[in-house]
Amino acid sequence: MIRLRREPTKGARLLRPIAEGPPHPSGFHGRRGEVLELSPQERWVGANHASSRAEWEGVGAACIAAAGPPARLALDARGLPPHCAVGLGVGAALRAWRFDRLKSCPPPRPRRIELLVNDPAGLASAWARAEAALAGTQFARELVAEPGNRLTPREFAKRLRGLEKEGIEVEELGRAALKKLGAGGLLAVGGGSAVPPRIVILRWRGEFRVPPVAFVGKGLCFDTGGISIKGAAGMEAMRADMAGAAACAGAMLALARRKSPCPAVAILAIAENATSATSYRPGDVLRMMSGRTVEVVDTDAEGRLVLADALHLAATRFRPQAVLDLATLTGSVITALGHHRAGLFHNDAALGTAVAAAGEAVGERLWPLPIGERHREELNSDIADLKQCVPGGTRFVSDASNAAAFLREFVGTLPWAHLDIAGMETAETDDLPAARHTPTGFGARLLDALVERHFEDPHRV
Amino acid sequence: MLDIAFAKPALPKAGALVLLIAEGAVPSGLAAELDTEMEGGLSRALEAAGFKGKKDQAVTLWAPVVSVTKLLVLGTGPIAGLDAEKLGGSLYKQVSGEPHCTVAADELTASQAAAIGLGAALRAYRFDRYRTTEKAEDKPKLEKVTIASADHGAAKAAYAPMKAVAQGVFLTRDLVSEPPNVLNPVEFADRCKELTKLGLEVDVLGPKEMKKLGFGALLGVAQGSANEPRLVTMRWNGLSGGKKKADKPVCFIGKGVTFDTGGISIKPAAGMEDMKWDMAGAGTVTGLMAALAGRKAKVDAVGLIGLVENMPGDNAQRPGDVVTSASGQTIEVINTDAEGRLVLADVIHYAIEKYDPRFMVDLATLTGAIIVALGHEHAGLFSNDEELASRLLAAGVATGELAWRMPLGEAYDKQIKSDIADMKNVGGGRAGGSITAAQFIQRFVQGRPWAHLDIAGTAWSSKDAPTIPKGATAYGVRMLDRLVADHYEG
Repeated sequence: MIRLRREPTKGARLLRPIAEGPPHPSGFHGRRGEVLELSPQERWVGANHASSRAEWEGVGAACIAAAGPPARLALDARGLPPHCAVGLGVGAALRAWRFDRLKSCPPPRPRRIELLVNDPAGLASAWARAEAALAGTQFARELVAEPGNRLTPREFAKRLRGLEKEGIEVEELGRAALKKLGAGGLLAVGGGSAVPPRIVILRWRGEFRVPPVAFVGKGLCFDTGGISIKGAAGMEAMRADMAGAAACAGAMLALARRKSPCPAVAILAIAENATSATSYRPGDVLRMMSGRTVEVVDTDAEGRLVLADALHLAATRFRPQAVLDLATLTGSVITALGHHRAGLFHNDAALGTAVAAAGEAVGERLWPLPIGERHREELNSDIADLKQCVPGGTRFVSDASNAAAFLREFVGTLPWAHLDIAGMETAETDDLPAARHTPTGFGARLLDALVERHFEDPHRV
Repeated sequence: MLDIAFAKPALPKAGALVLLIAEGAVPSGLAAELDTEMEGGLSRALEAAGFKGKKDQAVTLWAPVVSVTKLLVLGTGPIAGLDAEKLGGSLYKQVSGEPHCTVAADELTASQAAAIGLGAALRAYRFDRYRTTEKAEDKPKLEKVTIASADHGAAKAAYAPMKAVAQGVFLTRDLVSEPPNVLNPVEFADRCKELTKLGLEVDVLGPKEMKKLGFGALLGVAQGSANEPRLVTMRWNGLSGGKKKADKPVCFIGKGVTFDTGGISIKPAAGMEDMKWDMAGAGTVTGLMAALAGRKAKVDAVGLIGLVENMPGDNAQRPGDVVTSASGQTIEVINTDAEGRLVLADVIHYAIEKYDPRFMVDLATLTGAIIVALGHEHAGLFSNDEELASRLLAAGVATGELAWRMPLGEAYDKQIKSDIADMKNVGGGRAGGSITAAQFIQRFVQGRPWAHLDIAGTAWSSKDAPTIPKGATAYGVRMLDRLVADHYEG
């Protein structure tokens, strides 16, 4: 969608980022959020004092927001250092993405964006690198945007099989295979739906002969809450409860597109949490794939159950060098951190630091939260090995930390990080490079950056 | 307070005896002496019980010799990893039925011996002034613990400042435990005045003075109650002696809502009784000032507490009201139950103007969101100053009063923009509720070094811990005392 050029093509609207400085006679300073319509064909956009790549992504997004509907846009990155120029282009691409497949008559929007640079050939490889990550994010966004009646567990798996043409191996474990593996958590959660649950495994072999990095994703195609049914208000947003799995799949696509040398595997737990005659119940005791028993307290705390089985499978089958799971897991993390940062939990300080740094680098920001002794103690059950969550009632419950303590029981001694991305899968604020109320693809670029920064050093492996 | 004494290692003439034996160690010192007196009976008993000195392993013998009514042998695990304070707390419960107890700490260092005393004293706290019919046999009998230590002089000296801090802790626990019909703002201020006998300067302002100072935010909260608000300032001039204007003081600020109904935005009935401890931040600051004065800390410190009651009275402030704070900034009150930050806003501004502090730490049971975020083991720590924040975290680890750093940032600050005033008092929705509260407070600190501890999850405990009985924890007193001791004295 974005092309590198030296000069704008005729008819393209020029968008020029302007750093803060002395005011233009119109009063335009170049501050963030300012836009000046210089002529019908040229607009200036405030770039403030942007210096980092993530800040330039913000400027790129602001340019698109200020552009209006013309079919052709040209973003002026001439004179910018390469990482800023790339950031400008990435931000523009992220902001320009739309999901209008389901509109009979899509509103007009830019069809082609040009990124003007002094030396297009010189920037080509850096831009190709950025495009790989963009492809991953956009793949994740498409999946998240799809409504629950279209993206069923079956359809989700089918779309993931499309990644085979990218050089990714795709394996699907259906109900029979899951029964054989004893995936009691995933089978219970998906048991209420007319479409059975499944695990999809994506493998990128890479070049290094080392254990893979494993991504584990929560893929709830729709979450009614089950028997512990959710309130009607806002339930439509639950079509996005598979955003963790989508981000993992997007990251795999990014790794394949840029031919990462690092082997990686994604284990995606895909199900629909439906309310039906065959739904699992509060009070049920499940035997998980690891053999542990879990007392169900709230059928709407289903994400941790499907992740537990997927984490166990990842740990035992692939013995990965590290495992990261992504999930829209708890409302509690939104209360804790709002819509500006996702929650980060880990059992390994070095991995935790690397994950947080990767998030900062791509503007997908995290904040560490604790797993205290008490968070684990609260999960002690009278009837099973573990309670799934802490009964709420009228009390405040630190559910995000309780959920992390639950998941930790299924990763053994592997270096592990858990990203609770609830609240970040859809843009609720203007400080993200995605239009408000649209999917962000949060996590795909972060995982891609993490692999590049932390797992691709040939001297390390 | 439990009487803690230190003495030369010798077998007691009466009462209970606690022997501490490390993992794999053979009885030596007092234990060996007792074993001899028992003609090898102690060794036989320990062997029969399979005692290996593992942590928390315990063997009890009743009246093993004439002078000892109860003998408790406690395993300490490897001596290197001994948490003496916790041990003191745990052993209290097991000997509380005896009037006197001797702990044989002859193998331990003087500071470990003192820490055992502190642990036992902290655990022995009880708030029973409203129990009128409790039978004598149901009350703990233990009055005195003697710790037999080789270096008992040094142990006693090490215990003296600990005792002063424990007394501060108890003052806080008393204040937080008091029911709200007893401890209203006026009564709270009166109790603060009693601290002049420790050498603190105590200054109390009433509504007239506060009105003059322009405390519109605090007074707005208070106006729904029949009980008048108070602002109490407690000064400890341990460094300058109050004579010369030497260093800028360190400053602690507490939210003291003696009862919080929520006001017009009234809370649901279930659990509302807990809101008597919505003054725990002020309680902690008061106990901390008593601790600093009690141990004659070499620091100039000032503690300020804003005391109000949040009631839905006929003159109560309404959602939609706009108030002008002492700083001149205007606040749209969206939710009258987000009142703590309104109180803090004025007190913080006053602290800066009047005392020009070196740094400020405020404590407040501010948000339910912090419990959802962190649970009950960590308080939320927000700060604009890296050095202060890391010192607080370290002091928390050292005293077992843990904090967890939480983020601040422009994106969160935007959430409290108001259409009619400079800011509104809640961030719109539950998202990031404790962060937006901290952003609100930050708007009043004028860029000064500042930290905010949201203690809503840690001020009260629903179950016993080794050194903290169920109820008011006095979270923060020991952490902040430690902060001062480690970095700001001398």
